[in-house]
Amino acid sequence: MADTPLVQMRGITKRFGGVTALQNVDLSAHAGEVLAIVGDNGAGKSTLIKVLTGVYQPTEGEIFLDGQKIEFASHAEAIEAGIDAVYQTLALADHLDPAANMFLGNELTKKVLGIEILDLKRMRSETERVLMERLGVKLKSLDAPTESLSGGQRQAVAIARAVYSEGLRVLVMDEPTAALGPQETARTLKLIQAVKEQGLAVILISHSLDDVFEVSDRVHVQRRGQCVGVVKTSDSSTQEVLGMIVGAEEAA
Amino acid sequence: MNTATAKPFSERMEPYIAIIGPMVMILAILLFMGVAEPARYFRATNLNLILLDAALYMPMAMAMTFVITQRGIDLSIGSIAALSSIMMAFLIKQYGFSVYIAVPIAIMLGALMGLINGLIITRFNVPDLIGTLAMDLVYRGFALVIAKGLVLARFPDFLTEIGRGQIPGFVPIPVLIGAATMIAGYVLLTRTYFGRYTIAIGSNPEAAELTGISVKRHKVYAYVLCGACAAIGGILLTGKLNAIQATSAPYFNLHVIAAVVVGGTSLFGGRASMLGSFAGVLLLSMMINALVTLRIEFFWQSVASGVVIVSSVALYTWMQKKDRDGAGGLLAGLQTPDGQKMLRFSALLIGLLIGLLAIGGIFAGDPNPSG
Repeated sequence: MADTPLVQMRGITKRFGGVTALQNVDLSAHAGEVLAIVGDNGAGKSTLIKVLTGVYQPTEGEIFLDGQKIEFASHAEAIEAGIDAVYQTLALADHLDPAANMFLGNELTKKVLGIEILDLKRMRSETERVLMERLGVKLKSLDAPTESLSGGQRQAVAIARAVYSEGLRVLVMDEPTAALGPQETARTLKLIQAVKEQGLAVILISHSLDDVFEVSDRVHVQRRGQCVGVVKTSDSSTQEVLGMIVGAEEAA
Repeated sequence: MNTATAKPFSERMEPYIAIIGPMVMILAILLFMGVAEPARYFRATNLNLILLDAALYMPMAMAMTFVITQRGIDLSIGSIAALSSIMMAFLIKQYGFSVYIAVPIAIMLGALMGLINGLIITRFNVPDLIGTLAMDLVYRGFALVIAKGLVLARFPDFLTEIGRGQIPGFVPIPVLIGAATMIAGYVLLTRTYFGRYTIAIGSNPEAAELTGISVKRHKVYAYVLCGACAAIGGILLTGKLNAIQATSAPYFNLHVIAAVVVGGTSLFGGRASMLGSFAGVLLLSMMINALVTLRIEFFWQSVASGVVIVSSVALYTWMQKKDRDGAGGLLAGLQTPDGQKMLRFSALLIGLLIGLLAIGGIFAGDPNPSG
């Protein structure tokens, strides 16, 4: 991790009218690393990743990808540059099957009699391949609508959609385990490991410190719009991070 | 490799559930008519009549499937059908247009009216229900303004051929047209961007937006398709009757919506079944024909259609809820207190309906006008 970080945010400030949501925040994540962002409600976690994924534009500050300065006017531009996010709601169309969801908005087509139609077979086999090779997941049925899958499997489909793009460098995951039971949570953490091992930078937002300590390499703590510290997970403890979140060490 | 056999029965049936509802009802009608009036109902000429009636609604049911799947509704198709046909009739009768030019113009006019609907809904953010209801009044008003009380009749052979022509020893020509639009609709739904995005938009509009689908544009496309198909419906009607007037096609909206919903396309969006819509159209035509064959007064049709809509929507909603709760099979769901309550309520409704029908049967006048 001595090399330059894959993605770096420097001096990010974001104001909404008179409200300052982010105040001079620095963030960096390396390839093959899971960086967790923790903090209380309103600490600026979501705003920070929305700036990173191009949903918001920063009031001040710069973002670097691979040492190159980048600016996004929209979320689509961020995806093109290689930064994508998986949302808590997963953004899946529940009535469509996993393959349809994976290629939603980006369908594979073939020409039949000069007419462009969807290539259902190829999308299906590609979905099967990506789920297996990149995430180690095998779904029982690829034909059932996504709503019939378990929480962890739905998560896998949403992640597969993001990692399918060869250009993906940074994957942001917003509260992936918030609505899941213990078993499904364990599966999702395994998925995060799998993504990390492929050399992507994973930025994980979570309320669950247990999850954070199980899967992350470093923890970035936000409080009241500011970064109050970044710690190595292996050198820290839940107590320490919790203290940073609520600002206990300041009061002491 | 035994996943196919290991899958529970209910899961394997899942894709076909939409078609089972109307199929069961169609079978019920066939059985009932087989007992009550086999000779008159199953005559070839009568079956031909059923198909001829169903064909009229097929293009519109196809298009409505897309609109409803996107969580929309179009209440203006009856007026679009009337207005575009009246304009076509004027072009032919008054201005001497060739029928081969007037028919495509009518379809384009229908598409244009659909485009206006779509733009009103997506650009002015008028809810689809209100927007199309209001536009229904507008289009009907224009039709009345243009045609006054006139009945335009006697059109070139081409129109009557596509409206009621018969291929000897085979089905009527409009049935071929209707079936062709349904097949085209099936391909459109399952094999094209438009169909896929239609389902995605109905299933989860926010997710569709996030993946870069232009939700508003695809909504407009669906209304344009619906307008064009309404015009086709109007043309078929004009050809079938060899006449058209401003007040024609008053019940198209609800008849078509009923057929689509009975076919298992969900009013809550995301669940589409083209095959179901086809079966739904067929079912409604068979039911209405059965009522006529049984010499039940015409006015009961509307009661019957309404009951079919309510019961099928209630049934689909209930089935959907079951598979979400995962409360065992369908029968297990009936054993819960809620299920019991619902059963009692449905029994009450059915009892009430039978009572009403009995009253209707007793007091109904002679269907043949006296004198």
